[in-house]
Amino acid sequence: MLEELFVAIYGVIVMAYVALNIRKGGFIFDPSKLIPMLAFVFLMVFAALALLGFEPMITLVSLMKIGAAGILFAGVIPMVAAAIGMFRFNEEFGPSIFYARNHIAGVIDTVASLIMIFVGILILRLDLVAVGFFFFLLIPFAGNALANAYYYSYHRGLEK
Amino acid sequence: MSEALLLQSLADSAFFWAALAFLVACTVAGLGSIRLALKGEAVTSLMGVSSFTTVAGVGLYLVSLPELFNVGFARDTAIALLVLGAAGTIIFARMFRTEE
Repeated sequence: MLEELFVAIYGVIVMAYVALNIRKGGFIFDPSKLIPMLAFVFLMVFAALALLGFEPMITLVSLMKIGAAGILFAGVIPMVAAAIGMFRFNEEFGPSIFYARNHIAGVIDTVASLIMIFVGILILRLDLVAVGFFFFLLIPFAGNALANAYYYSYHRGLEK
Repeated sequence: MSEALLLQSLADSAFFWAALAFLVACTVAGLGSIRLALKGEAVTSLMGVSSFTTVAGVGLYLVSLPELFNVGFARDTAIALLVLGAAGTIIFARMFRTEE
């Protein structure tokens, strides 16, 4: 019961924070401040638990796993938002809607790769980090190739 | 020791449910991708398939993790989908471009 309550509260807080960021259209806390702040909170919690007599290694791994859970919760909202965008943007918006869809596909790819990288770091799975990083490097090329293909094979003909 | 076990079970539970929520979100995004893949012209379909391979690859990779369902063979499928999906998108996009 305690675990489910913790998960529900934690998930709602993280998802609400991400949703507020998306609604605002920018970062509520700048990442250059947010990441050191989270690292500081992590260190403080770890120190407090270690001083209370918790086994340090178990505590460290558990806290990192809770951080990984937070990252996974944070990825839920952009994924659902991207899915809604894919359902909403239909052909009636004209031929240029392809570029909006390409952006949405880029959001899905970026969220997926960042989640793989950071979750892999936090649960100590380097293969996940490696695949995520390789994928992260390929995303811009794929998006650019798609937009190029659309423009030169279809859109330019419409403009002429 | 029991407090440490409680913390460990909290972390395991949080990770499990978070991954499950993310898998559900991936499924929703996958449905959107399939819809995109089944309509429009060829490049739009290619984009939809590319998104779907991404979503399926990440989902399979999460499923393969020992912290979740520990389906070992899903990892190889996920790596193949992620790497070959992105590379194939680039190659096919180049082919579509030079077609005209």
